[in-house]
Amino acid sequence: MGQDAAGAVGARLSPQIDSLIRAAQRGDHDAFEQLVRAYDQSVLRLAMNLLRSPEDARDVYQEAFLRVYRNLHAFRFDCSFHTWLYRIVTNICLDQLRKRKVRKEESAVMETAEGPIDRMDSVEEDGVDSNPERTMWNRQLKQRIDTALEDLTPRERMVFELRHYQGLRLRNIGEMLGTSEEAAKNCLFRATQKMRSVLGDFV
Amino acid sequence: MTCDSVSKLIPLYYYGELMPEDEDRVEAHLHECGACAREMDRQRSMAVALDHRHAEYPAVLLDDCRADLMAAIHGGAPRSGKPGKSAWTLFLDAMAESLAGLGRFRQPVAAAALIAVGFVVAKYTPGGLPFANRGYSAASMAPEDVFATIRSVQPDSAGHVQISYDETRRRVISGNTDDLNIRKLLLAAAHEQNPEVRAESVDFLKSRAASIDVRDSLLNELAYDSNARVRLKALEALKPLAADPDVRKTLAQVLLTDDNQKIRMQVVDLLVAHRDDSMVGMLQNVMQREDNNYVRLKCEKALKELNASVGTF
Repeated sequence: MGQDAAGAVGARLSPQIDSLIRAAQRGDHDAFEQLVRAYDQSVLRLAMNLLRSPEDARDVYQEAFLRVYRNLHAFRFDCSFHTWLYRIVTNICLDQLRKRKVRKEESAVMETAEGPIDRMDSVEEDGVDSNPERTMWNRQLKQRIDTALEDLTPRERMVFELRHYQGLRLRNIGEMLGTSEEAAKNCLFRATQKMRSVLGDFV
Repeated sequence: MTCDSVSKLIPLYYYGELMPEDEDRVEAHLHECGACAREMDRQRSMAVALDHRHAEYPAVLLDDCRADLMAAIHGGAPRSGKPGKSAWTLFLDAMAESLAGLGRFRQPVAAAALIAVGFVVAKYTPGGLPFANRGYSAASMAPEDVFATIRSVQPDSAGHVQISYDETRRRVISGNTDDLNIRKLLLAAAHEQNPEVRAESVDFLKSRAASIDVRDSLLNELAYDSNARVRLKALEALKPLAADPDVRKTLAQVLLTDDNQKIRMQVVDLLVAHRDDSMVGMLQNVMQREDNNYVRLKCEKALKELNASVGTF
């Protein structure tokens, strides 16, 4: 997949992006489309990695860019467009994660002879590996990582996602989530500690 | 620096989030302390393991998202598709497509939808049909309200240019789903080309799922809609009717044919929650072709509870 404008983490807006925003604010639909294409791969990747469902990622994409479309006139260049966009995206994703927490508590995990099976475990299938021992180990590690990630609060999950997978600086993350850099640091520390405790001797 | 204070800084050190002076102090400590160096190694191993869990989106998803977004913004088809087609033309095209080449089940619903739209438009459009030429001059047209499709451009007998076009006015109506006409329009919208419109329509129809025409439309969406989100919305709407024999028939068909695992997992939950002997053959059939572990286990459990064998002989 290609890199988009958001891939240049923390970079200042290029003049081209700046003029696309201004043109889109004046009602230029082509400029808006180009603006979307400059950032949408990162948005989709973030949503997919957080929610692990193409349908949910698609919903996030649609809702986020429609909100951008409706509110772009209010963007005043007092923060980077990337930060502004990610504020919208992270809010929508946090809502989804919170709803999912509730759904998860409601949904029955199926009891089987091999132990409890969660319905989403089978969504992503493993690739074929010639070494059965390694396949088994990888599968157990994958399950443990999923458990570790699910044990995080939505906010911890978001901070960890943005720092570890998206490579954003904690200062930017704080700005996006409407909190301080210090609070984002604490969140990242808590997330890391929780995961290390769940992953135990796997790492 | 003590080991305790360093261990708290290790995640931030790993992610390069410490101030330069703190970074130097942690580094110096790690050179001297084996226990903290091992902690640092664990941090690195965990990060590497987590990197393998990075989900990538399917290649077609980005194209779908872009098309859906542009369709939602422009209120019709994706702009990269067929520029110049009006919303009404697109609607008729979509209706014509949905009527052509479909199974027996879908046809009556689509036909009913077309009639319904004709009725509603006639009722809500003062002055008659949307295609009627009411002699608007170009200057009187509000661009955001009127859509035109040019049908032909040719010279007339006087040597002028003669342009023939269809025009459609955009109108906004609002009402309650109790209103039969609103409901008919929603039923028609459930066949629109834009998946976003279909999904929203299905969502609004949810509260009326008990009515036969709405139920049939939802079954139709669940069984045949090309968009998984629309199918999921239809499934959600049909959940309270999971005991209805017609609904169960479609659910069984979806369980056997839908390529979306999330949908099959939800469908199997609904089917086995109201299990009966007539399901045995279908469940055995699913066991033979299903790849998804969750669905297989659910079917296996239901078959055992029905005292049936898991396989066919």
